Amino acid sequence: MERRTSRSSELATIAAEAAGADTSSVRLRLVHGPAGFTADGLSEPTADPPPPDLAQWPSDFWLFSVAGLAMCVSAWPAAATVFSEPFEVGTPLRTDRDDTHAYDGFSVPNPGFLNEPNRRIDALLTLNSTHWSPSYRDSLVTGAVLTRVCQLAVDRGRGPVVHLHSPVAPFVDQQISARGDGSHERLRDAIGPCVRLSVAVNPHEPTARLDFERGLVELAEEFGLGLKLNDRRFNRVPGEWFTIRGFDRERYRQVRARLFPETPMHLPKHAMIATVMGPARLGMAADVVARIRSSGAGVLAAALSSVRKIGFINLVVPLAEGADVAAPAWSGGWDDGLKLIAERGGLWDADGADHGDDGAFAGYKVALSQPMRCSFPQSSRRTGASVTGRVPYPLWLRWEIPNRTVGSPRLLAMVADNLGVYAEHTEVAYARARVGRGDLVRGRAKLVVLLTHAPRDVADAQAVLNEVAERVQERTLEQLTDMRWAGAARVRLRLSPRERWLTYSGMSA
Amino acid sequence: MPTDSRDPFDDLRALIETLPVPSAPPTYTQREAALGLALMDLSLRLDHVPRVAEHLTLIDRGHMTRSVSVDVDLAAIADAQRRRIMAPAESLHGNALWIPISRYSRSDLAPVVVKDSTGEVVPRFTHRDSNRVTAAAFVRLLTMLIDAHRDVTVRDTVVHKLRHTHQRSRWLVEAALAELVTAGSLPETGVRTPLDYARLLASSADGREADARAVRDLALAGLDELWPADGRNGIRLPFAHLLSLACSQYMLIVLLDAAHPRRFLAWDAPLLPGRRPSAPLQRLAQSVLPVNREFVVEYETAIPRSVGAYHLTVEVNEEVNVRRFVLSSDVDDDFVQALTQDVEMLAEASAGAAPHRKLLELELQGIASRLAEIGRRRLTDLTSYRRYIAERHRSLGAEPANGGPPGMTGDEVVAALGRGDCTVPVLAAFAAHYSADGMRHLARGPLAGAALPALASGIRDYQLGHDITTDNDPREHGAHAHWRRPNVDLSPHSTQPVRAVAYLSLADEAPALIEGITRMVAGLVAVVLGIGTLLTGGLAWLYSGAVTPNSVPEQADAVVAVLLLVPGLLIARLDLPSTHSVLGQLRQFQRSLAFVSVAVTTGLAIAAGTVHTDLGITRAFQIGMAVLCLILVCCLLEFVARRARRRSAVSRSARLPRWLLATRSRSRRAYAPDAVFDARGEV
Repeated sequence: MERRTSRSSELATIAAEAAGADTSSVRLRLVHGPAGFTADGLSEPTADPPPPDLAQWPSDFWLFSVAGLAMCVSAWPAAATVFSEPFEVGTPLRTDRDDTHAYDGFSVPNPGFLNEPNRRIDALLTLNSTHWSPSYRDSLVTGAVLTRVCQLAVDRGRGPVVHLHSPVAPFVDQQISARGDGSHERLRDAIGPCVRLSVAVNPHEPTARLDFERGLVELAEEFGLGLKLNDRRFNRVPGEWFTIRGFDRERYRQVRARLFPETPMHLPKHAMIATVMGPARLGMAADVVARIRSSGAGVLAAALSSVRKIGFINLVVPLAEGADVAAPAWSGGWDDGLKLIAERGGLWDADGADHGDDGAFAGYKVALSQPMRCSFPQSSRRTGASVTGRVPYPLWLRWEIPNRTVGSPRLLAMVADNLGVYAEHTEVAYARARVGRGDLVRGRAKLVVLLTHAPRDVADAQAVLNEVAERVQERTLEQLTDMRWAGAARVRLRLSPRERWLTYSGMSA
Repeated sequence: MPTDSRDPFDDLRALIETLPVPSAPPTYTQREAALGLALMDLSLRLDHVPRVAEHLTLIDRGHMTRSVSVDVDLAAIADAQRRRIMAPAESLHGNALWIPISRYSRSDLAPVVVKDSTGEVVPRFTHRDSNRVTAAAFVRLLTMLIDAHRDVTVRDTVVHKLRHTHQRSRWLVEAALAELVTAGSLPETGVRTPLDYARLLASSADGREADARAVRDLALAGLDELWPADGRNGIRLPFAHLLSLACSQYMLIVLLDAAHPRRFLAWDAPLLPGRRPSAPLQRLAQSVLPVNREFVVEYETAIPRSVGAYHLTVEVNEEVNVRRFVLSSDVDDDFVQALTQDVEMLAEASAGAAPHRKLLELELQGIASRLAEIGRRRLTDLTSYRRYIAERHRSLGAEPANGGPPGMTGDEVVAALGRGDCTVPVLAAFAAHYSADGMRHLARGPLAGAALPALASGIRDYQLGHDITTDNDPREHGAHAHWRRPNVDLSPHSTQPVRAVAYLSLADEAPALIEGITRMVAGLVAVVLGIGTLLTGGLAWLYSGAVTPNSVPEQADAVVAVLLLVPGLLIARLDLPSTHSVLGQLRQFQRSLAFVSVAVTTGLAIAAGTVHTDLGITRAFQIGMAVLCLILVCCLLEFVARRARRRSAVSRSARLPRWLLATRSRSRRAYAPDAVFDARGEV
């Protein structure tokens, strides 16, 4: 018997969105550069711009910033052009900002990638219990773990990786004595050596889901990783976790030493961003990550996402010792890109084995940033440095705003400016926004703040962060109201130091 | 229903085999394709329709008129979408939009006139145009799927050929899609093509590329490549579903002025014919036994998932009473189905190598929390149902409230669930224990292992995903149910319409025909008793077998006249309805009683006129009296049956969820309804 499916209406929606008479393809702009750019102004394409009324208002916006490097994608619906390839990317364009390059891309709509009515499994894998300071060797282990996780999602979960980020804010369960009524959560680090991913599985294939979860448990046991899964109890919101196992430091170190005995244990100084793009498909992440890993490159940080059904696999690859730090930014086809990644970031003599058919990579494009200097947080709450106050803390933001009023980059810049009163350093670590039903832009972001006045203790830090979040939220809302455009009443914005208080769904950071 | 229909890919293949191979591409414009896709998207979701009301009138036992009204909120349609559905600028009203407000089956071809709140007729999109833009939409979708396919840049693959070098095959697929959408496909038989009537010889394998065979083969290979049957990329099923909807339904599309975003529209849907399920024994019993027959109507419909409020009002003939009216929808069915599958999966997994203990705990906690939520919801339904029943009949009110089930301990609840007992009281008790933190460690408990298969079958059997909405306007000759989408949608991603069944039981309530007939029969008994007693000079003839001499009436004409005139006058006073009406069906048995009683007296009259022996006349009166008394007993039994029917808390219908039936001790055999009206093809 044919199963009832909601995917047909998703298919119709995607096709309808994609097939406007003047908007039957997707234009996008990818920006690579040192962290700290607000993306406001940078994300507008210069060559072959979209219609003027659309240029300022990307339908999708995505940003990830880590280790002093940032990557950002904006996408617009655009008129169709002559078809030659499903995905095209232009040469790197210099921008006004140092070391920052933009890549203009073009894609055909991809209605075949359906994942909306799927059930999500979120997992949080802990790769270490200290603050985030990945050595060359750690980056290879991260690469190995990512490869296995993505492979598990395809082979066992039979579903796509909706998003994957590393590093992300770690999560520590509250002790029973400190739990209170459970409405609060422990103060978290802004980033930690963790991988957070979300995999869409078919709700009518629970066996696949359990197989995938079992695979995760096996992986965690093999590498000594900590594993948390999203709490699936009814009435629980994303951001609440169920601990399956804790991090096993000894096991992790043993595995790391066994797998990569020769690789150095110090922090890389330079890294580059490798972005692989193409029409999103089931298994894309697994294929790409496995092939990059087999080229011998490590992974400092990763951000997998899809924007308008275009898959983006962004990997921050540490530059191999001795590699040319002045290598230029590059963009082009998959084969050449892979060679360049191996050349610039190859850390060990990998097997180089053939991972499946080459047809799987047809149509994927690669954009490589020039090598950039990377920076890592000096301390974390968990390493006992919280008393010094020099700890970056996360703030989560969620907003809903009518389309074509305030663009997402500008809104983020406003919030960051308002935070500047209270923090000596503010950075948008992750942001994602898209135009949805009702012509509203819905977005989520994670900001990292370093408070100006060092809090005395954890309780003080909590109190200060609460107050800062509330004040900045009110200030930003006031500013938005002052702009006096129609529909100001439909604006919703919430900033909070506690992720689950935002009760959004389907994001990670 | 579209979901039960055959695979539209079979139809597509049949058309690819037979349509003439096009030698030029189809001429659909981008605008048509965009309009078609936008209309399809809007009509599948109907997010812009926040409220639907249906008014049903039962006109006879097999037909129902149905008028539908909807509230439309154009503000729910995004700007980008509006640009695609905008009507050409020459419209008098400025910006006017084509808005789909409903879908209906292609088998309903009666014209539909849509009016707005002022009574003005709203312009409609023609079927021909609608078919054309839908065909354009599918052709565009095909192009998009080809362009985004991974093989599109790999030479010598099927998809590359279709896109770049062998366009005639692609045009053929496009023509087949357009033909399927335009001509439609019957759910039962599919498309009939000339190939069904011809036997073609297998052609030689090495044909030239330009041969029709080669073109068709490539087109067929393209279907397999774009929509692989193994479903790895999951596109085949959604596409097939979309296509089968497009070729089995029409969209009802109207032109609305964008300047007035909130509108009220109403139309009379085509007359709905009823289906009479076959149940010969039941029908026979209903016509010949004093069971106080009810006329049961089931109305099946589909409510768009995004609709917040749905009103269903029913109106019946003034002489017929609505005894019960209940609406049951499968709004939580997806959720419960996923829950059942999770339990079954865990049962299987636990039977093999058990999962990691914490993983098992997480799964069980997820299952338990959802089960508790379902328990809470169904308890709310059950409570409102009981209140409704109590309002209908006083004697039913006190019992469930005071005599409810005794409280269960946590162990008892778990044991009951382990036996597959998923009745609402058990689930409610489970929900109470769960929310009181009584179920914190399930992996070590009895629910983890062998109990799971029974629990899964219990959840499935009791149909816990179906809710109940009761009549909230209990009038005698009408009913109204107000269904609201739950505040927390348990299957938020689903866009499938909610299927709902309204159960309506109609009865002949006081002052009913049976009362009049009872009086008539009693009168006839009195007449026969009087004549018999006067003829025999005493009451002994009633109980004695002895024959009284000289009991033959001297003036037989007078007796015959009395025996013919009195029943004739009495029966003329009764209002016996036509058999085609609902009332006629309800009063079938009573009418038979009336006719039989008149037949008895007529028989007695004949006997009085023709029999001239004492024995004959005495026996005739004795038999007549016995039959009349039997009829009187039947009348009294009918009263008893009516009382029992009124007191029945749960109607015996297969369409009411089983959890409702099982709240009474045991499940009983369901009765077939008298008429089923199916409007599910319309959404």
